[in-house]
Amino acid sequence: MTTIHVFDPALCCSTGVCGVEADQALITFAADVDWAKKNGAQIERFNLAQQPTAFADNATVKGFLERSGQEALPLILVNGDIALAGRYPSRAELARWAGVKEAAETAQGSCCGGKTSCC
Amino acid sequence: MKFLDSAPRFLFFTGKGGVGKTSLACATAIQLAEAGRRVLLVSTDPASNVGQVFGVSIGNKITPISDVPRLFALEIDPEAAAQAYRDRIVGPVRGKLPETVVKGIEEQLSGACTTEIAAFDEFTALLTDSQIASAYDHVVFDTAPTGHTIRLLQLPVAWSGFLEAGKGDASCLGPLAGLEKQRAQYNAAVQALADGRRSRLILVARAQNSALREAARTHGELAAIGLTQQFLIVNGLLPETEATLDPLAKAIYGREQAALAAMPDELRALSRDDVPLKPFNLVGLAALRQLLVETAPQPDAAAGESVALRAPSLSDLIDDIAAEGHGLVMLMGKGGVGKTTLAAAVAVELARRGLPVHLTTSDPAAHLTETLHGSMAHLTVSRIDPHGETERYRQEVLRTKGAHLDAQGRALLDEDLRSPCTEEIAVFQAFSRVIREAGEKFVVMDTAPTGHTLLLLDATGAYHREVARMLDAKGAHYTTPMMQLQDPKRTKVLLVTLAETTPVLEAANLQADLRRAGIEPWAWVINNSVAAARPRAPLLRKRAQNELAEVEKVATVHARRYAAVPLLEEEPVGVERLLKLADHDP
Repeated sequence: MTTIHVFDPALCCSTGVCGVEADQALITFAADVDWAKKNGAQIERFNLAQQPTAFADNATVKGFLERSGQEALPLILVNGDIALAGRYPSRAELARWAGVKEAAETAQGSCCGGKTSCC
Repeated sequence: MKFLDSAPRFLFFTGKGGVGKTSLACATAIQLAEAGRRVLLVSTDPASNVGQVFGVSIGNKITPISDVPRLFALEIDPEAAAQAYRDRIVGPVRGKLPETVVKGIEEQLSGACTTEIAAFDEFTALLTDSQIASAYDHVVFDTAPTGHTIRLLQLPVAWSGFLEAGKGDASCLGPLAGLEKQRAQYNAAVQALADGRRSRLILVARAQNSALREAARTHGELAAIGLTQQFLIVNGLLPETEATLDPLAKAIYGREQAALAAMPDELRALSRDDVPLKPFNLVGLAALRQLLVETAPQPDAAAGESVALRAPSLSDLIDDIAAEGHGLVMLMGKGGVGKTTLAAAVAVELARRGLPVHLTTSDPAAHLTETLHGSMAHLTVSRIDPHGETERYRQEVLRTKGAHLDAQGRALLDEDLRSPCTEEIAVFQAFSRVIREAGEKFVVMDTAPTGHTLLLLDATGAYHREVARMLDAKGAHYTTPMMQLQDPKRTKVLLVTLAETTPVLEAANLQADLRRAGIEPWAWVINNSVAAARPRAPLLRKRAQNELAEVEKVATVHARRYAAVPLLEEEPVGVERLLKLADHDP
């Protein structure tokens, strides 16, 4: 089973609605994660402000933070390897990593079907 | 005193600022301790002055009050609680993660949300700690859980599930996410509050319509979470004997009796004690022992020298404000000092001079808006309603940012928009919209009571840092609301206080907070001054004399400029009476 670990920057909350301005990328991603999990994907998110030990205890993440700084977050690990950094994955990317069939969802899903980086 | 009869373990005193909660809580604690019980007196007010009342330095640890055997006190300092919370989160990674990352985490955890939750955490610990239970017979709380804290007890179902699971994909819990282990403690605290044999709530009010309405609201909110054992104390009533002695005393007596007669039904149903106005300041042990003693009528009618206070009037201040032609005027201060009334007085006086004015309030208890609406040229009135603004913010985010989501995604977003933090964001946005207007007209703003102002500044500061980070990089030119508040040309902050020890101290603390945020208060306004009203009744004269030292402190130590507004015979409602508040020496 594929495991996806998302290391978020220091956020008040994962949808960003507590921020001064609600962040579209966070809102979209929260919905995508919810969708993927409901379809059987294994995804876990860690918030730097609330679970910093999860960052410090993972050598890959710790090294990444030392090299690139917190500005380079989010960092996404798939089965422990770096899969993506600096932006959130699209629903399609999540689906591909987790081996979930996207099927009819794409049509009404996020703006970024496929490999575009419009999000 | 009925509220003391077979007192349960937990006693909560609550009410608006300035109604005398602290004095009553202290007097109660003394009385119980002197009756042989072991008592812990707890203040949850960020500007606690329990220490000052006893002349002891207390702070964030249980401290014995040496003058009263068996009495101990504790001041929960929300800032210190928040710092401890931050240390708990950040401590384990210090030295493991880069220093800049650690600083970033601390910055994220320095918001008002963290402070509030950390203080709430300490509060619930006192209700559930078994050591406290065995060491003390009574725990007397000065200030009950209100507003925000109640919301924390009513977390959406999904969040409770999250907290019980102990981990998961953090929903928008903000700093609560780090506190999942406290869930059992929260449940136990709610049970303790809801148990009438363990908990009693004492609503403290003055005999004023607005204070009584506020008490009725608190009664409803706290009854809804199960705190049903409630008593009412009407504090500081002018004795009837005084009423015959001068027109001001007669008017005040009449006003108070009318307010009591018109008291909301839900308060009328409660067991009630009346505490008469005392001629002395309620500081020190001797004074506090007197407070709950039913004394004979006050000193002889000849007592009390006449007092003539010479102080600048509100109109003098408004001359300087008007000279700018436009700008933001913010009235700040603790609850109960009369911010709403003074904001309205400033607004009508500016409008009377033909200047364009927008008066706005975020105080849920504000009733002047209706009185004033449409009744004066050059004046517009609006109200920032936190609930309405929050709902608008939710709908706006769902409509825009939630537009492309499927039904499931929208439901998730909707749930997260119930976060305890969104109200602050929503009120901040409404606030920013309003202050933009101050470029071409006067905007007079009344800020809601206790803590709220600082939350607002905090959101303003966070917004400023975010905008600055984005735009500095581009070398762009910008003005954030924070910069507007810090610019004395654009913004004048008036600190409102009463000429009494505690309110002056609280205003001075608020001034220090504002200065830390880079905002220099422009003037102080002493409201409801008995000395400025030149009373003849002896009890009022005595109080007027007590005021002089406080006025002196404001004039020489605290304020750069100040004004005193007299206590009026009639309650200042309506344009005509409001204009009287700004009058030069009558």
